[in-house]
Amino acid sequence: MPKDKLELPDIKSMFAAASKAIAAREKELCAIDGVCGDGDHGTAIKGAMCAANVSAKSAQSIKDAFMSAGMAAMSDSNGSTSTLFGSLFMGISDGVPEGASDLDSNRLYTAFSAGLAAVRENTEADVGDKTLMDALIPAVKAMESCKSAAESLAKAAEAANIGARNTVELQARFGRARNLGERSKGVPDAGAMSVATIFSAFAGVVS
Amino acid sequence: MKKFINKPENLTNELLEGLALAYNDKIKLDDGKLVVRAFPKSQDKVAVISMGGSGHEPAISGFVGEGLLDASVVGDIFAAPNAMSVLAALRKFKRDAGILLVVLNHAGDVMSANMALKLAEREGIKVKKILVAEDISAGIDAPKSERRGLAGCIPLMKVAGAVAETGASLEEVFSVAEKFNGRMATLAVAMSGCTHPQTGLPITELPADEMEIGMGQHGEGGGGRSKILSADDTAKIMFESLSKAVDLKFGDSAFLMLNGSGATTPMELAIVYRAAVKLAENIGAKIEFGIVDEILTVQEMAGFQMVLCVLDDDSRKYLKARSNAPYWTCLG
Repeated sequence: MPKDKLELPDIKSMFAAASKAIAAREKELCAIDGVCGDGDHGTAIKGAMCAANVSAKSAQSIKDAFMSAGMAAMSDSNGSTSTLFGSLFMGISDGVPEGASDLDSNRLYTAFSAGLAAVRENTEADVGDKTLMDALIPAVKAMESCKSAAESLAKAAEAANIGARNTVELQARFGRARNLGERSKGVPDAGAMSVATIFSAFAGVVS
Repeated sequence: MKKFINKPENLTNELLEGLALAYNDKIKLDDGKLVVRAFPKSQDKVAVISMGGSGHEPAISGFVGEGLLDASVVGDIFAAPNAMSVLAALRKFKRDAGILLVVLNHAGDVMSANMALKLAEREGIKVKKILVAEDISAGIDAPKSERRGLAGCIPLMKVAGAVAETGASLEEVFSVAEKFNGRMATLAVAMSGCTHPQTGLPITELPADEMEIGMGQHGEGGGGRSKILSADDTAKIMFESLSKAVDLKFGDSAFLMLNGSGATTPMELAIVYRAAVKLAENIGAKIEFGIVDEILTVQEMAGFQMVLCVLDDDSRKYLKARSNAPYWTCLG
């Protein structure tokens, strides 16, 4: 049944589902990254999400679950993936009210907006630069004024997937892929694909 | 993929273990992926620390030692170490004299460094960052943010490490190193891509009869593809771009490093070096000394990085100062 609000067990299930979905796509994400980057994004994001899931499992509150997931992602993986995805979850935690036992659609939007703000502190990339931001920015925007938590995550997943697909036509302006110029067109951005995969898994749990 | 490896996920730990065992009189492995000196320098001197992904051996960890780095924070293969491990190193080397953190301009490294610096600042750790971004493949006039840090980081670490060894202040160490930073440039050329040793996937494949000038140190393409040229012709294209970038003039002295990427032989590097020395002579400049070696590799990629540094009295003195790192020893 679609959920109005998310409680701690839902958050834990979301991380478990996201970790599983990312692990299943590890090779594919590495191959995509290998066209423009150095071919290790799948390995890095798998490590980050696996650590996030393990850490979130023992959390005592929603705020704690996102914080420990973020810390684990930042400590247990490497490269920009560790900082970007770690700061996303830590930022979401910052946006969850102290002592909150559930998240409705309004609280979800506030929390994920704080997550996006934290990622923005680490990169200047915006929509159109062929990075994870092409999926993350529209995903968070789509969560605004939704009626239920299930609707928020479903809309976010849809927007993230469209955003990730749009990166195929884009020319990279950040990271290692930037040096390829025109040749970076034709493949999606691996980070954006990961964001889409994570949001789809999140949505799948509560739909 | 033909490589002598065991489990892909153990690559970094195993290579660091081996490096520390082989050079146990110079370096040791601290908890996790931090390489430190076997005999630390005194607390009253500035510590010089760098950070970066593995898979580029001997860089960066092979340059930890007396007169060079105090520590190298190691990430996974081709991946920056995370912010938490950089912070852990800064905590370990916290001292009144301060820490110089040498960061190569790659998105992951810069993000981890900035996050670690933010956290370190809250803890009152005195640390200053120096950003190496000397690759000119994005263009001589490209802003620093768009240039990558390549093998020029190693002579820069040598200069910074030597100044720190004299007991100079953090401001002095930074200022000498930053001056050197501004007078060096690097350009890379590749003839073949390489495989990512963890995934076994190829990174940037080049047609058999082509080469690419401007290739990064993970195999990222830079744009300047052509048919394979001779050593002298390749040296000419690269040296001319580099000498323009560092404004090498009549009467100048320079240091030249030819860094093999992994599959290009010392024979080829020596041939290119000799060509570059002649090109410098043509404009009345002098390559005083240099290095022809594998310093910062990219697995089995064929190619090299040419690093040109204009010398002054300071940098000449510090490049030749005593050092005892596994891969750079000087009698001083």
